[in-house]
Amino acid sequence: MSEPLSRPLSPQDLASATRFARLNLPGDRAALVRETLESVYGLLDRLDTLELGENPPATAFDARWE
Amino acid sequence: MDAYQLSLAEAAEKIRTKELSPVELTESVLARADAVEDKITAFATRTPGLARKAAVQAEAEIAGGAYRGPLHGIPVGIKDLYETAGIPTTSSSAVRADYVPERDSAVVEKLTAAGMVLVGKTHTHEFAYGAETPTTRNPWDLERIPGGSSGGSGAAVAAGECLVGMGSDTGGSIRIPASICGTVGLKPTYGRVSRRGVASLSWSLDHVGPLTRTVRDTALVMNAIAGYDRDDPATVDVAVPDFTGGLEDGVAGLTIGIPVDYFTERVDPEVSAAVATAVGVLTGQGAVVREVNVPMPDHVLPTEWGLMLPEASAYHQSMLREKADLYTPSVRLYLEVGEYVLATDYIKALRARTLLQQAWRDLFEGIDVLIAPTLSAPAVSAENPAVTWPDGTTEAATDAYVRFSAPANVTGLPSLSVPCGFTEGGLPIGMQIMGRPFDEPTLLRVGQAYESATDWTSRRPAL
Repeated sequence: MSEPLSRPLSPQDLASATRFARLNLPGDRAALVRETLESVYGLLDRLDTLELGENPPATAFDARWE
Repeated sequence: MDAYQLSLAEAAEKIRTKELSPVELTESVLARADAVEDKITAFATRTPGLARKAAVQAEAEIAGGAYRGPLHGIPVGIKDLYETAGIPTTSSSAVRADYVPERDSAVVEKLTAAGMVLVGKTHTHEFAYGAETPTTRNPWDLERIPGGSSGGSGAAVAAGECLVGMGSDTGGSIRIPASICGTVGLKPTYGRVSRRGVASLSWSLDHVGPLTRTVRDTALVMNAIAGYDRDDPATVDVAVPDFTGGLEDGVAGLTIGIPVDYFTERVDPEVSAAVATAVGVLTGQGAVVREVNVPMPDHVLPTEWGLMLPEASAYHQSMLREKADLYTPSVRLYLEVGEYVLATDYIKALRARTLLQQAWRDLFEGIDVLIAPTLSAPAVSAENPAVTWPDGTTEAATDAYVRFSAPANVTGLPSLSVPCGFTEGGLPIGMQIMGRPFDEPTLLRVGQAYESATDWTSRRPAL
């Protein structure tokens, strides 16, 4: 998943996001998580090229009880 | 031939005619596992005592005229993600080392009702989150991985430690070990088989299905496990066919779509050549080939990961906070990273999936099945699980494998992996036959036609 950095994250950015996620991320893991996350964002941002228009998400809820 | 080497269908016929007893078959399989398991480590938990008890019961039932059908008395290995009442179900993770469920998963209930004999719980890449299964080795080359995440089931079936292995497939996890262990593996259509009681990796992408020695064996297992289940909200209330019904109908008149892109990029030439030769076998039987372009190739993996990362992190949210140190490093990293995927990014992936579904529906206009390599490469080294391509770049095994298997997860389309040859180095190669939604019988028909014309499934690893 080697992708260009479309959403670069500073260590402070990651620390804030970690707090909001209520996750305990030991300091020695932060650099690896940040590097991987930047790569993941680069992958996910390929979806920006799609014209999603009125397309709904591929989910549905079945209201039947049985 | 020892009994453990039989296909399910062969063993079932011998059991039905009382030429072979379930006890003899189970003892043969257990002895084989005793002989090879220390080299392969396919099982997280073996259950020989329970197996012998079930085999004795099956033998008595059959002797008394209560034959339940072709699965009766057949040894099966169940991936350790599937809950089994009273038997440890660890997902091959220290996080769940002490978990013993009280109830069987839906599939295990059905297989037990059909009379199968559980010989153990097969290893998975931890929580199904990876394609290596590092606990386990490939029976064809003990220095290589069996693939994953259902690597234990693939290795066990290939080595003769059970006749059927159950797997799950979120990005390729049935077809990857099937391909590189030289077995058949079916990822059914999304919604065809209940996942109730199987630990989730990603609810939107998880499928469950069998790994077997032959196509017919897969059809026989599907007959027992397919069907709607209100307890799995993804299952679809559609008619369940007899999956063995059209197996011998041949491929004359069928149109096979052959991709001219995506599945042709960064692929081992021995794999491409084997699949091309296999397609030639089918055209020799009257199938017609049509070249097709794979739609939205750049959006498959972002959709796969955009769904899987946050869903997996949601499933593991409490466990990651309580037992982070017990996860293996790569799984822990994936789970941590998934915590930071925005909800809007996740929903964007769900919307992209709708477009991918429509694009693949259009792709199938004018073709009956699509055939491609199951994977870009054969089994890689266990010590260094990566593929090095001719341009010098390297790709982690999971990434290299999932590239070709993920389209069927994102689209939910059924995909059958069948053995289609070996590399010069003796490693199995698989091809995947993809089809329309809920059209597994056509996949099985094509797979059977190919298998009948070749002898790959008769080869056994030298252990």
